[in-house]
Amino acid sequence: MLRLPLFRAISRSNGRLTSAVCFHNSAANQQQPQQQPELIELFIDDKPVQVPPGTTVLKAAAMVGVEIPRFCYHERLAIAGNCRMCLVEIEKQVKPVAACAMPVMKGWRVKTNSALTRKAREGVMEFLLVNHPLDCPICDQGGECDLQDQSMAFGNDRSRFTDINFSGKRAVEDKDLGPLIKTVMTRCIHCTRCIRFASEVAGVDDLGTTGRGNEMQVGTYVEKLFMSEVSGNIIDLCPVGALTSKPYAFVARPWENHRTDSIDVHDAVGSNIVVSHRTGEVLRILPRVNEDVNEEWLADKARFSYDGLKRQRLITPMLKIDGKLQNVEWEDALVAAARALQDLPPNKCAAIAGCMADAEVLVAVKDLVNTLDSELLTTEQEFPKSGAGVDLRSNYLLNNKIANVEHADVILLIGTNPRFEAPLVNTRIRKGYLHREQNVAVIGPKLDLTYDHENLGQSPDIISQIKSGSHPFCEVLKNAKKPMIILGADVLTRKDGDKILAETQSLCKNIEKTVKTDADWKVFNILHTNASQVTALDVGYAASLEEVKKAKPSVLFLLGADENIKKEDFGESCIIYVGSHGDNGAQIADIVLPGAAYTEKTATYVNMEGRAQLTNAAITPPGMARPDWKIIRALSEIAGHRLPYDDLHELRDRIAEIAPHLVNYGEVEPSNFLKQVYELAKTTQGSFLPDPIDIKQKSLDQFFMTNAISRASPTMAKCVQAVQKQKQV
Amino acid sequence: MAKALGLDKLVNFFRSIKHNGGILGSLRTLYRVDELKFGDLIGEDKYGNKYYENNMYFYGRNRWVIYSPRVHMNYDASQVPAEWYGWLHYKTDLPPFKDPSRPKYKWMVDHTPNLSGTNKAYMPYSTVKTKIQAWQPKD
Amino acid sequence: MAGVIVRTLSVPKRQLGLLGQLVNNQQSRSYADAAPEGKKVGGPLADEDRIFTNLYGRHDWRLKGAMKRGDWYKTKEIVEKGADWIINEIKVSGLRGRGGAGFPSGMKWSFMNKPSDGRPKYLVINGDEGEPGTCKDREILRHDPHKLIEGCLIAGRAMGACAAYIYIRGEFYNEASNTQVAIAEAYQAGLLGKNACGSGYDFDVFVQRGAGAYICGEETALIESIEGKQGKPRLKPPFPADVGLFGCPTTVTNVETVAVAPTICRRGGSWFGALGRPRNSGTKLYNISGHVNTPCTVEEEMSIPLKELIERHAGGVIGGWDNLLGIIPGGSSTPVIPKHICDTVLMDYDDLVRVQSSFGTAAVIVMNKQTDIIKAIARLISFYKHESCGQCTPCREGIAWMYKIMQRFVQGNAEVHEIDMLWELTKQIELHTICALADGAAWPVQGLIRHFRPEIESRIKNFKGQKVAVTR
Repeated sequence: MLRLPLFRAISRSNGRLTSAVCFHNSAANQQQPQQQPELIELFIDDKPVQVPPGTTVLKAAAMVGVEIPRFCYHERLAIAGNCRMCLVEIEKQVKPVAACAMPVMKGWRVKTNSALTRKAREGVMEFLLVNHPLDCPICDQGGECDLQDQSMAFGNDRSRFTDINFSGKRAVEDKDLGPLIKTVMTRCIHCTRCIRFASEVAGVDDLGTTGRGNEMQVGTYVEKLFMSEVSGNIIDLCPVGALTSKPYAFVARPWENHRTDSIDVHDAVGSNIVVSHRTGEVLRILPRVNEDVNEEWLADKARFSYDGLKRQRLITPMLKIDGKLQNVEWEDALVAAARALQDLPPNKCAAIAGCMADAEVLVAVKDLVNTLDSELLTTEQEFPKSGAGVDLRSNYLLNNKIANVEHADVILLIGTNPRFEAPLVNTRIRKGYLHREQNVAVIGPKLDLTYDHENLGQSPDIISQIKSGSHPFCEVLKNAKKPMIILGADVLTRKDGDKILAETQSLCKNIEKTVKTDADWKVFNILHTNASQVTALDVGYAASLEEVKKAKPSVLFLLGADENIKKEDFGESCIIYVGSHGDNGAQIADIVLPGAAYTEKTATYVNMEGRAQLTNAAITPPGMARPDWKIIRALSEIAGHRLPYDDLHELRDRIAEIAPHLVNYGEVEPSNFLKQVYELAKTTQGSFLPDPIDIKQKSLDQFFMTNAISRASPTMAKCVQAVQKQKQV
Repeated sequence: MAKALGLDKLVNFFRSIKHNGGILGSLRTLYRVDELKFGDLIGEDKYGNKYYENNMYFYGRNRWVIYSPRVHMNYDASQVPAEWYGWLHYKTDLPPFKDPSRPKYKWMVDHTPNLSGTNKAYMPYSTVKTKIQAWQPKD
Repeated sequence: MAGVIVRTLSVPKRQLGLLGQLVNNQQSRSYADAAPEGKKVGGPLADEDRIFTNLYGRHDWRLKGAMKRGDWYKTKEIVEKGADWIINEIKVSGLRGRGGAGFPSGMKWSFMNKPSDGRPKYLVINGDEGEPGTCKDREILRHDPHKLIEGCLIAGRAMGACAAYIYIRGEFYNEASNTQVAIAEAYQAGLLGKNACGSGYDFDVFVQRGAGAYICGEETALIESIEGKQGKPRLKPPFPADVGLFGCPTTVTNVETVAVAPTICRRGGSWFGALGRPRNSGTKLYNISGHVNTPCTVEEEMSIPLKELIERHAGGVIGGWDNLLGIIPGGSSTPVIPKHICDTVLMDYDDLVRVQSSFGTAAVIVMNKQTDIIKAIARLISFYKHESCGQCTPCREGIAWMYKIMQRFVQGNAEVHEIDMLWELTKQIELHTICALADGAAWPVQGLIRHFRPEIESRIKNFKGQKVAVTR
């Protein structure tokens, strides 16, 4: 069914993919120098339009604002051309052509609304409905169904399906695709979008067709789980109700929901999302198009873990009374916390930022801790201090931007598994691999990536070998024009993290010397796993948990920090937990102040490439919980160190003082000073440890539960179970 | 004649004042119920509410209740017991003590006024699962 | 299958309605009248003009026997004369594709004969003979494989291909076996492989067996099948001549087309061109089946009158010519023609288009008056319903629906207006799909309604009458 080898063949012959093959050109692509080929003029409904050669009729029509109906065509997937809904008449041609696949010719007069075109559409629509059940009232796709909409717009207004009285319609057995995707295969119209998504974007050839003719069925050949970390996207792709969301089944109709634009915080990609909610409840999460970040995909953890927002929540302040956490009023909790803050000696108040802390609370806490004469601010994930440390942004960003990952021709992944740490970066790599002949190599354990790659080994010494030119992989790097080295943030938490960082940077420096790259092409990149990491480092948090432990602080703020924190390390500290979920952190706390989750507050997050984005409050925080920064602000007033901002705008002004790019929403502040970073890297001493480089998330079951929200989610728990069961088969 | 001159209004006014117990009493009544009326006392229930009738007023306003002074300003229509309710709302012209067919059994419970807004208000327990499940700390 | 493809290019003018029909008629008349000096009618073929001299397997099919019959004679010289000479010879001969589409072979081969861009070129031989009624390629594959293999070399030379893939229908086990043996013999004799025939030209031939899907006879589906994927037709463009097998330029041709090429080159294109009417030149293998006294496969000249073909070679219609009901002239996907047309029609591309049918693969299916024509067509639709690949909506859903209606027509359990509805459905199906299978399924029904509508109507009436009788 798929024509990927075909595409590769074309790309080989043409040098690069022309738009005939219809791959979406993102903004980044258009920056590339590209000689302008001669334009072809044609007429769509007598409107002249000029397009580059190889453009399809459908795209040319879109340029003059003529929408051609389609089912199988999707701009981010290969062309199948099998639904035949997009048939249009072309003057002087007897046969209507499939607009989605037909490249334009000079002087064509396309008629998208002629009698022949309308008849063809009506015919296709009639055929589609012959075997499509008329169960719209009990179908979850109702209201957002392409078939529904298009049958209203282009279909016939009466039925002549007389055979309903004789033989009825086709029925197809439902398939079990796992705990996320509900299937009603009788509704399938065989557009094969899901199949193409699975094999092209997800890189998992699990889906396909069996049988032929009227008995053709879409499924997994043998009944099995659809083992992908981006499986939920086939729900959005399905133009009918054949694939719908299992957790959202029979929950709501799309027109009843309120939609709030927001940002996902389950990984550091910063995917754009839409939160659908009603009556103070998040009902589902959908992706929102952002060409520079997530295109229009969304990882399963971001899409389906929203039921974790309703469980294990902190809804009242708590105080440890008689060794037990007990519910109290805000006043009591804040007074108790303020009392702990009184008369602290310098450097005795500390704060640890968790993986989902937002810029607002980070700044508020930083200001509070600083007024208490302390500098003990850290993130829960360590980052090497030596070299440029966290002083230069280039040292800890994905400098080359996510959109450019697909344009790289050689990618070296060091200690990272993008498939699970950042699934949408991984889809970019797969895109580059499929359409741009990308070479991928990995230093780290054996990984199940969605593209062919070379595993160079697990020892950190390999970095040095490549640097010195003694490793065979150097040949590949030498011939590269756009190499990228992506270093996992997790591997830098090792004891020899600073050495790995410095060695990688000097490798990058060498590559930049030998390889002619564009001036704005950055070789050195870090792939973060925590949504808050770049934000925290940007506003001036250090990243050294060890130092905080050593300082033995009297008061310790945990901003949703749940990982790597043990009670034994902070025996004498009064631990104040500010966060939304009861997890490891709240368990060891003395005072719990209930905060808001990311769907409940308007907050700033910076993703791994340094793009500041804004979540919007979809619902109010549950119970007595409040937006985190307001808690800190109230506490500061009671403690006698009133922070100088009363509302979000004043706080944003304060953030802008510290880091102006954090309020420049949607934009990436270019990271400079990479040269200085490389220079400073030389100062790093030390040597590699003998232990091999390891990665935390190696298989799909390790992907689903990585933070407090996803750990509280029953859906994610089901996913883990399903994957483990599938593995045993 | 007196009517033509409007003197009957004056007469009625004085009657009202007298009926309500002089100027002070009238002011008190006016403060409580915002109007002054006079009429025949038809009866009084066991809670101390008094029921009056004066057919000089037009139908609909000719029967009224003055609530027991014990409740002060906290009077409420639901304090009228069921037996007087019928007379007050013209379902019957017979006040309860004159009505022979009115059932009276031992097991009939005492009248209770509407308790909404008090701590005795009726509150059904919820059968709906809470939307948000709170975290319970492990001990 | 391939037969249907180019028909979509030539036939559709009919779809323009009455006007188109007029245009079409004029055009087809001009075909025959264009060369008044040419033959008007093809006659019985002389024995010395026969190409397939071992059609019935009476002689040795192996290399020795084949060489005795003249195969591989001066092949080296033909190959050495070069691509342009071969293509010119084929053009002069007026050979048209024998798979049914009837596309001029010389022109098709010349598309491939352009400078290479570094990719190899392939010749693919379509031996997936699945059309009901057609059985000509199997005779070549099992009884004259060396003609085909020699043709592969010559055609391959003409288009600069480095290898030929012979895709043989899965059911043809013995045929594939014979062909494979013949290829091995040719290799051993140095006729294939490196320096084929000593001409300095390297050429390989491979056999690939199908798995029994009719759709794999469509050229792009066939390419997909050779590549090891599900045999589902590809979108065109890009055409196989640009992006074909393994992404390389490819030409797919019928077995018979390639097998006649060596003889044409040896005896000259003008000899071949002199047979049959102009533009319909040459000899052709006819398969005559159905209600005839002696069903057979026979090589005959093009443009032979249909009646003469049946009377001379198939022993006439069972029950006599007057007992004839209708004939499907070119394999199951062509519309049926009734007797009064059969009386005069010539068996060639242009004359059958004139009568709104098609030459197809020249598989003549004869039906006499004892045939239930509705049931016969319904059976064909059942075949197409089963063989639809299921990609395109009109084909997947439409043919299944047509089948349901046809089943009811067989009983008469329908309304008269449903005949018009079925006619419209066939119009909605044809020309709206990626490949031509759907067209091939729609046309038999169109032929049925065009010529046998009263038959359907009377059956519906009868059924209603019976029903009324029963209820009374």
